Amino acid sequence: MNWISTLLPWQWAVLGLVPIGIILLYFLKLRREPVQVPSTYLWSKTIEDLHVNSLLQRLRRSLLLFLQLLAVAIAAIALLRPGVRGESSGQERTVFLLDSSASMRATDIDDGKSRFEIAKKLIAQEIDQMSDDQSAMLITFSDRSNTVQSFTSDRRRLRDALDKIEVTNFPTDILGALKAADGLANPRRTSEVGNMNDVQVAGAMPADLKIYSDGGFQPVTEFSLGNLVPTYVSIGSKTPKNLAITAFSADRNLETPGEVQAFATVANLGSQPIEATATLMMDGQFMDASSVSLEPGDQTGLSFAIESDEAVELSLQLDVDDDLEADNVAFAGLAPLRNVNVLVVTEGNTPLELGLQTSQSSKICTSEFVSPDYLQTDGYASRAESGTDDLMIFDRCAPDNMPATNTFFIGSLPKPNATLASTDTPVNDQWSWATEDSGVVLIDVDRTHPMMRYLELFSLLIFQGRAINAPAGSTELIGADVGPMLVLAPRDGFQDMVLGFPIIRTDQDGNFGTNTNWYAERSWPVFLLNVLRYLAGAAEASGSPSYQPGQTVQVRLENTVTDAVLVRSNEKNDAASTRLTPGPNGTIDIVNTGDPGNYQIKSGGRLADSFAINLFDPSESTLAVAPDIELGYEAVASTTGKVESRQEYWRLLLIAMLGVLATEWWVYSRRVG
Amino acid sequence: MPKIEKQTLLSPELLARLERLELVSRKVFRGRMKGERRSKRKGQSVEFADFRNYVAGDDLRLIDWNLYARLDQLFLKLFLEEEDLHFFALIDVSESMNFGDPTKLLVAKQLAAALGYIGMCRADRVSVTALGPHGRRAPVLRGRSSLWKMLDYLDSVKPGDSGNNVSLHDGVKDFSLRTAGTGVAVLISDLMDKSGYESALRMLIGRRMDVFVMHVLSPEEIDPPLRGDRKLIDIEDGDEAEITINAFVLEKYRETVKQFIGTAKQFCNRRSIVYIPVRTDTPVETIVTKYLRERGVVR
Repeated sequence: MNWISTLLPWQWAVLGLVPIGIILLYFLKLRREPVQVPSTYLWSKTIEDLHVNSLLQRLRRSLLLFLQLLAVAIAAIALLRPGVRGESSGQERTVFLLDSSASMRATDIDDGKSRFEIAKKLIAQEIDQMSDDQSAMLITFSDRSNTVQSFTSDRRRLRDALDKIEVTNFPTDILGALKAADGLANPRRTSEVGNMNDVQVAGAMPADLKIYSDGGFQPVTEFSLGNLVPTYVSIGSKTPKNLAITAFSADRNLETPGEVQAFATVANLGSQPIEATATLMMDGQFMDASSVSLEPGDQTGLSFAIESDEAVELSLQLDVDDDLEADNVAFAGLAPLRNVNVLVVTEGNTPLELGLQTSQSSKICTSEFVSPDYLQTDGYASRAESGTDDLMIFDRCAPDNMPATNTFFIGSLPKPNATLASTDTPVNDQWSWATEDSGVVLIDVDRTHPMMRYLELFSLLIFQGRAINAPAGSTELIGADVGPMLVLAPRDGFQDMVLGFPIIRTDQDGNFGTNTNWYAERSWPVFLLNVLRYLAGAAEASGSPSYQPGQTVQVRLENTVTDAVLVRSNEKNDAASTRLTPGPNGTIDIVNTGDPGNYQIKSGGRLADSFAINLFDPSESTLAVAPDIELGYEAVASTTGKVESRQEYWRLLLIAMLGVLATEWWVYSRRVG
Repeated sequence: MPKIEKQTLLSPELLARLERLELVSRKVFRGRMKGERRSKRKGQSVEFADFRNYVAGDDLRLIDWNLYARLDQLFLKLFLEEEDLHFFALIDVSESMNFGDPTKLLVAKQLAAALGYIGMCRADRVSVTALGPHGRRAPVLRGRSSLWKMLDYLDSVKPGDSGNNVSLHDGVKDFSLRTAGTGVAVLISDLMDKSGYESALRMLIGRRMDVFVMHVLSPEEIDPPLRGDRKLIDIEDGDEAEITINAFVLEKYRETVKQFIGTAKQFCNRRSIVYIPVRTDTPVETIVTKYLRERGVVR
């Protein structure tokens, strides 16, 4: 039997005044009502008889007082919450890790409560049965961890903190939470571990680690439990029902810009076959629908084609009653095509000029041609630094300093950075030619890459070309017999693409000649269009990117925009808007992206940018609860969270108190009535 | 206290019925005047009683001359004398009698008036007396025409007057000292005297009275409608008793009342006192014409 005080000391003091008040009132009540009788002769004779058993009589007279005091005493005992603990936990410290990721929204258990609510209830039970010398800590984790309440033995604070926690739409990453829980249990040493003379900074404080989760996260390997004693309380059923949209995007057909194509992937991640209807909505209006019928584990693709020239907001909704609602809806936005600025540095390249001025290209591109001399001017230096151009094409030349934008080198290589060159940068981290000039036969094209889409290149004739050694992390787009011929490599957030052969060649006499017949192929303008769309970012401007909930979204607005508004719209049409102030170079970091939906950044009524927030996380949508979890190569089997529930007696005491009160009333009414 | 009207004491119908009744005395007393009752005294009635020798000074008219002729001796022929009866109705007018609805005092007055009227109709010497100072001016009445005098007196008797609260003992003692004769004495009282009623009754017996006790109790006394924590105040002496009245105490009280009545009855029976319990909720007519008849007070 143990006791949990539910009142503060001053409240106990007030309660202590109650019996004193009752006793005082009892004596006040004894101011008896006077009644005239003909003679007290018989009464005093009666009382004389009663005095023989005066103790009994006194007890009878004080019976009401006794019953009232008994009721108060029982109430006080009930307020002390006597109970017997089902099972005492081993440690005095407990760390509660509560999974607040999107999968905890699932309502697969029973009575319509979400996994998260059930987990909160279990933790509340644990908190309720803590004794005064136990302390606990409360951490939630989704893709980030949040220490909601640090170690405290104040159950009220723990309960308040627990009440405030809300479930998120974020994916799951438990490592941060484990590291937060680790702090006190496994104090770090002052220096290396192997030193026997070394002492620990602080004494280890072992703790129970109670993880309330559905186990929907990757095994944690970079973590050692040490003094933490883990318990995994699995929440959720093993046979959930869930149909999820795992991908949804929309893009314009560049050939017919008014046509919007939407693609979606729908997967059955539950354990029961499901039939549903997928409804495509545009700006809240019904556009199209498609039926989906999937066996467990299967997935299917859906495609829709609609007509719209304007910026649109699309949403795809599955009309199905499954266990997780958050993944039944997906969002995608389309911006109107926007112009990209391209700076072309060349001594003269007519195919390139023509390719950038096709009717399709000129719709999305403003190009400027300069000679290589321009690279030495201050104008170029400031332009390279500010990054006002979306793409710079260097035809057989290279700048000394790489510009702050994407680049495309034709027949030349980016020069090693001056600062990098002075250090011991490994050779394979720099651009270099792998071979000398020779005839080239193309043998491999990466058609999966958007840059290579719609291209047929095997009929090309290339007179002279050189294979490229690209820095680490590069992607080979075209392979030739001599080696990589078109390579895309990242550079500080930008991308450099290098083509191993020039289009126009200047011979020793200074005459221009063609090096390839590509300019005469249909694939040449298509390739340039792909470059404009994907390397210069025109495609980015048409299809809005999708991010996962909780991600920080960085958008870059035009420099002239000084004031913008973020508008969120979702399937419930409860639009919410936030005012944004762009940073110095037009970038805005948007952090409040917790809710799925279409987000539009508007400036002066004009759409400046848009993005979508979607769950799109198969591991969150896979609801089946994990039978065990792996923490630092230690498998922790699941338990139900109900073993330690405390046997409470206050209800019985309350009933007893009501009984005493009823008896008191009965005695009173018998006396007076 | 309800005002006692003369009319309310005895209704004409009751008076008519009372006229047919007669007070019964179990003893034969000597009266003062010629009356309708046989007396111990030998006298001039038509009923022969005895003979006795003539002594000098006897009335010659009483000599039985026929015997003288036969026996040559002088004998006196004695006849039973018929005299009046002394009837005393003693009313306890202590404050405790002023209780109940109707009050015990009213019932006591009605009973006294009824019995007194019966006596008056039979030419008895009737004295309806309140115990205490009132008793000093109680008229001695005879004859039907004195009814109004009696009622006037009874009307003047009020409880709560100063000095009325004499104990039963003192009241009866005062009565005994004032009254020389013997006769029928009816004590109408609730017998609730803290010093006890026994001495008062003994005193009456000592006076060789034929004593009747009419024990008047109101229903409120026999079964009090009281509950809860009360402070009981004695009307007579202001004595206070704090008591928590519950079913248990009430039961105890009822037992006490029963015992009180039983003791009084036993005390009376042992001393040839006729004990008549009277509840104030019983009509006087019923008491007089039924109960008193059954107990032989009237016939």
